[in-house]
Amino acid sequence: MSAAIDLKGVTKQFNDVTAVKDVDVSIAHGEIFGILGPSGSGKSTLLRIIDFLETPDTGKLFFDGVEICAGTVAAGKKMREIGMVLQKPVVLNRSVANNLAYSLFIRGWDEKKIDARVDKELRRCGLSDRRRKNARTLSGGEMQRLSFARSTVYGPKILLLDEFAANLDPRNVGLLEEQIRRYSSEDPSRTVVIVTHNIFQAKRLCTRLALMWDGEIVEISDKNAFFENPRDPRSSAFVKGDLVY
Amino acid sequence: MAIEYDVVGVTLLSLYVSGCATLLGSAIGIPLGALIGLREFGGKGLIKTITYTMYGFPPVISGLVVYFLFSRAGPLGSFGILFTPTAMIIAETLLVIPLTTGITITSVSEVDKSIKDTVRALGATPRQSVLTVMREAWVGLVMAAMIGFGRCIAEVGAAYMVGGNIKGETVVLTTAIMTETRQGEFGYAIGLGVVLILVAMAVFLFLRLLQEKEML
Amino acid sequence: MAISVAVVAILAVSAVGVYLMSQGEQPATLRMATTTSTWDSGLLSFILPVFENESNCKVQVVAVGSGQAMELGKNGDVDILMIHSPAAEVQFVNDGYGTNRTQLMYNWFVIVGTNGDPAGTRNATNSTDAFQRIYDNGTVGNAVFVSRADNSGTHSKELTIWAKLGYNKTEVAAFDSDWYKQSGQGMGAVLDMCEEMDAYTLSDDATYYSKVDLDLVPHLNITLGGDSALKNQYSVILVNASKWSHINATIAKDFLTWITSQDGQDLIKSYEKYGHQLFVPNAPGYSSTLSLQRVWTSALLTDMAVSCSKTRFVLGTELQRCAC
Repeated sequence: MSAAIDLKGVTKQFNDVTAVKDVDVSIAHGEIFGILGPSGSGKSTLLRIIDFLETPDTGKLFFDGVEICAGTVAAGKKMREIGMVLQKPVVLNRSVANNLAYSLFIRGWDEKKIDARVDKELRRCGLSDRRRKNARTLSGGEMQRLSFARSTVYGPKILLLDEFAANLDPRNVGLLEEQIRRYSSEDPSRTVVIVTHNIFQAKRLCTRLALMWDGEIVEISDKNAFFENPRDPRSSAFVKGDLVY
Repeated sequence: MAIEYDVVGVTLLSLYVSGCATLLGSAIGIPLGALIGLREFGGKGLIKTITYTMYGFPPVISGLVVYFLFSRAGPLGSFGILFTPTAMIIAETLLVIPLTTGITITSVSEVDKSIKDTVRALGATPRQSVLTVMREAWVGLVMAAMIGFGRCIAEVGAAYMVGGNIKGETVVLTTAIMTETRQGEFGYAIGLGVVLILVAMAVFLFLRLLQEKEML
Repeated sequence: MAISVAVVAILAVSAVGVYLMSQGEQPATLRMATTTSTWDSGLLSFILPVFENESNCKVQVVAVGSGQAMELGKNGDVDILMIHSPAAEVQFVNDGYGTNRTQLMYNWFVIVGTNGDPAGTRNATNSTDAFQRIYDNGTVGNAVFVSRADNSGTHSKELTIWAKLGYNKTEVAAFDSDWYKQSGQGMGAVLDMCEEMDAYTLSDDATYYSKVDLDLVPHLNITLGGDSALKNQYSVILVNASKWSHINATIAKDFLTWITSQDGQDLIKSYEKYGHQLFVPNAPGYSSTLSLQRVWTSALLTDMAVSCSKTRFVLGTELQRCAC
């Protein structure tokens, strides 16, 4: 089976800064793939490229073996199959229920079906009692749970999370990590990519890990191998907590 | 002794002319502003500058333009629109469009980038994205309509020129105020001014309610 | 939600519009351009309803400056003109824009100044002499004159008086702005300026009286009036119907016939405001069966010993001024 996501030779430059340098990485179905690295190493940019929010200067993207170029109709279609959760919780200026319903509404779902599904999801993420309130009145953790629910309610095959836990209290982090695990195990064809700089989180969640340094991917290993037997000296320094960032 | 005005009729006509011009100006300007604000294209900066510059467009010139177009001697004279409320609506719409467009451009531009990204990432089509961002900028869009209405209800130069201030036909509050002032009837003029402000206040209250209500 | 609001708003505005439109259904409409001073005198509001009743039509009046009124006539935007700018009117007709120019009525221009009358215009023999005195005093900083400077009928009349003293339009426009103020404003505004600046001006009597009536010009007086050179002649001109197919030529003609008829002229004569008959009808063939008596008095007599001037008209043709 082809890889869920395949990047070959992807480079992206912003003005003078090369955020992503010649990245090759292959992510399989069913994986929870973690991208570790210090801030500014290009992790977010890489994630945005996968979601077609940025267009790479060079390189190709393959999804299930099919090349898709940014800006095409196929890319637009693919975006609908990808879910993304950002570091900063983003909610639309409307009720909690309507925020959740938005993802389904833009996909042309029937109103009754939307209502039923929204009900179910709200119960799942514990926000039922807030359904009529304006989403902007939620706490940071609640907003992030809502963002997660909104990005997964349409069952995307690929879920991308960009430092989702930053600024969250432990309880909400725990809740969300549980949700991620559940999301991945529900369907073996789903792929999750998590960008984080928290090695403990990476250890808890991920099946495979990559270390990104200065725009380049310097190591890709299974989780255990990464922690016990890292090949690159920067990886072992990272794992030991010796790297300052 | 002032020439008597049917104050109710004059007020209704003011509302009608200003209301129509605001609706038309918003219907044109708000979508236009959203497209300009949310799309990248060559010359975008120039278009924005021109739009903002037109905030200061002299209303009497708008009146003159409409006059030249719809005068019997002009290209569109056969419609017989001059000296009717329709001509006043057209002249005022021309003045409102830069305002609604410009304020919408600013409002949608100010919607946080992360919202725009999230909406795209959730899979919205370009059209859906624009509509969603517009809804996020709702407060600003209603503001655009408010400012447009304010412009219209206070308009006198263009309204007098293309309307003619014909008694029983095209007298609005502002042209009536001008005539009364010209005749030295300051008390009456101020009275009409108070009516204008009260009427405008009612409309703005309604629009404010609109601004708040949408947040669900 | 926004859509439903928009729909409601559009329906509401349309409803108002339909209501308003339904108010104005009339069989036939005559559109007239006149000057703001004519309109502000209230004469038309007084006489038009009579015409509208008799002829079962509606008259729409657009009140603008003389120049603009003639432009509207040139462009066929109105059917008929009622203005008071004889030189320009003649040109208008000669250029083919109008027909049937008919003398209608007149009122008076007056020279207005402050009680102190620094230029001594009260002692002038006529308007030309008064202007000479104003000029002499103005150029040495002793008096100020405010001009309409807006190509109105009043302004045109003012220029004809300067012309008699040998100053053409360009020269007048070049008078020193220390004493000759070119305002570009309407008559009411100019009178306000004179009140503030202790200045002279040439005004139509109706506007002056309206200001007095509202007690807005306590320091101003008529310092000279009744000079036949200060006659303000009004005419009615039909817009040339052969140029435009849409002109309501028939109604326009009817109006002209009516307003120059004995009835129409008598109606004009009967119009009074501020205790005065404001307009003297003088259409061709009109004769009053009674002799016209018009008594001039200074609008304000002050504590100072000021001579008052009385002017008496006999049949509207001769003037006599007597000092009391």
